[in-house]
Amino acid sequence: MIKYIIKRIVNYIVMLFVAVSMTYFLASAFMSPRSMYMMRHPVPPEASIDSQLTAANINDKTPIIQRYFTWLKNIFTQWNWGLAPDQSPVGPAIASRAASSVQLVTLATILGILLGVSIGVYTAIRQYQWQDRVLNSVATFLLVIPAAVMALLVVLAAIQINTASGSRIFYVTGLHSYQGSNPWLYLVDTLQHLILPTISMTIPGAVGYHLTQRTYLLDTINADYVRTARAKGLTLNKAIRRHALRTSLIPTAQSVAFSIASVFTGAVISESIYAVNGLGKYFVTAITMNDINGSVAIAAFSGVCTLAGALLADLFSVWLDPRIKLS
Amino acid sequence: MVSQDFQGTDMTDEEQATSAEQGGAQAAPAAAAVDSAAASQTPVDSAAAAHEAAENAGIENMATEQDKQLKRTGRMTLYVHRYMRNPGAVFGLVLLIVLTFFSIFGKYLTHWGYADLDYMALGAPPSAQHFLGTTPGGSDLYAMICRGLGRSLSIGIISSIGNTIIAAIVGTAIAYFRGWFEKVGMWLLDMLLVVPSFLLIAMMVRGASGTSSWLWLVFGLTVFGWIGYARVLRTLTLSLRELEYVRAAQFMGVGSFRIIIRHLIPNLGSVLIINTVLGVVSAVNSETSLSFLGLGIKAPDTSLGTLLTDGQSVILTQPWVLVFPAIVLILLTFSMQLIGDGMRDAIDPYSRSGGKAE
Repeated sequence: MIKYIIKRIVNYIVMLFVAVSMTYFLASAFMSPRSMYMMRHPVPPEASIDSQLTAANINDKTPIIQRYFTWLKNIFTQWNWGLAPDQSPVGPAIASRAASSVQLVTLATILGILLGVSIGVYTAIRQYQWQDRVLNSVATFLLVIPAAVMALLVVLAAIQINTASGSRIFYVTGLHSYQGSNPWLYLVDTLQHLILPTISMTIPGAVGYHLTQRTYLLDTINADYVRTARAKGLTLNKAIRRHALRTSLIPTAQSVAFSIASVFTGAVISESIYAVNGLGKYFVTAITMNDINGSVAIAAFSGVCTLAGALLADLFSVWLDPRIKLS
Repeated sequence: MVSQDFQGTDMTDEEQATSAEQGGAQAAPAAAAVDSAAASQTPVDSAAAAHEAAENAGIENMATEQDKQLKRTGRMTLYVHRYMRNPGAVFGLVLLIVLTFFSIFGKYLTHWGYADLDYMALGAPPSAQHFLGTTPGGSDLYAMICRGLGRSLSIGIISSIGNTIIAAIVGTAIAYFRGWFEKVGMWLLDMLLVVPSFLLIAMMVRGASGTSSWLWLVFGLTVFGWIGYARVLRTLTLSLRELEYVRAAQFMGVGSFRIIIRHLIPNLGSVLIINTVLGVVSAVNSETSLSFLGLGIKAPDTSLGTLLTDGQSVILTQPWVLVFPAIVLILLTFSMQLIGDGMRDAIDPYSRSGGKAE
């Protein structure tokens, strides 16, 4: 098994290398940091633009292959992911923002999984009864609402509640605003900030897990081994929990593992609506600022997350399903 | 975990792959098939679907019996009948037709163009002059929604069709050629899934100018959107490539490309049609997200996503700028989802891919 995992990791590293290099070339082809300088007033002299671009290794007058190898050499020898057009280093900027993203996303992800799986199980057991129908219709409706619309409608509702109650119950922007040292007030303040983004990110997650978990459970609920368990005298609940649910959790566990990647990039919309300075927001800024190194670094980071999720998904399913062997 | 080692970057791909594998076993006996149709479900109206599936099985049995005396019900007629019996699906279709008409002819109801500015009514609430009010910049919201809806619709439909075509050819080709071609192909598909396509599309569209940005967006969504889908179709083709007539064609010396086009892809027909419709929903969602972030459609052109951005900035004072585009957007995606679900039940009642999360 260890051998298998090592083999898999080596394969993933090669994949990541190719994908990130491809992103680098793509970014260099489509983004022009020079235009950021040309838009300034007064336009700086060309020599000074060139020297700044060369310092950040994004000068379009240098051949792309040469830039690519300089970029690679810096990463492999000094773990230096390069400079943004304004000469600020990219690596530390990403590291400092990761914390905010994690803070924003963790609670929503966990809540989404718990809610979604439990509603899925609940409706699967009551297939075609009114609870199932109502929850399914609601889920289908919520599922198709674009993320931006969802978050904006939540904000709109929160503002209505705030005006109606005459006090500031929900904060619409940022993660913290409390400046004092009282830990209790600090916690309340954080919750007041977190609740809206959490709601708007939990709903899509929960709805997705609900619909898939329901299908998976219905697929296994009529399986022979569940019938056998029932025939042997287990109660319906026990048979479902011990036999059907366990197998049906495998695909869900896999998608949970894969969602690790979207934990970091999927919050782009929420971060920009709730003004949280996380990775998603950094990515949007990097793209609008023509920051080649920054965008590629973000791509590499989310690539690592995706592959870590893929590996984790494999390990999860081995753990849950004794029939699967890693080889 | 040998064949399905790496199922895609997000839940949707992974889920599709699973449902697709299940879809492979469709030649089940009628009784079992009705059961499985009962196990699959439309999220909209599950009981009705099961009932309908049972009826369909009956109709088909009858059709074979009565074949000798009566005229056979054509396949298309059957699909249309089944589709029309699903109220949710009919509602979705009507909604989509209304929206399409609105996006094409709605602009003739007002004399304001989407690019005209009315400096006498900046951020005015809905009135007889401006049906849905104006934005803070003085644009008529009704005209802008008309234009934006047309943009979102055309971007969604064109890129979804493009995705289906590329994914169908690549996915079946990878499965059909087997051996090292399949290994290399799968490795490449996995590699392309490593970096989220959202990032790559944003990079490409970013550089485009205002008027051509929607074409770049279509291009980006098409070029990067098919990858997970191709994996699903490849899994489906794994069972198709073993069919006798495919082998017979091979032994007759029919060319590989011809076999793919004439024998493999038509077998995936129902899956392709359904996923094209549902693909519109995800394409519209991506378009909205990108435009909302300022990385997609840019002024002077407009889309529902950019209108949401405008609405966000005046959410407190002029909520109508946010609410109307949001409603239109929800109606658009919801109608597409209803149509997709209805078509799945009509074309492929034994499909076990019900309840799929798109």
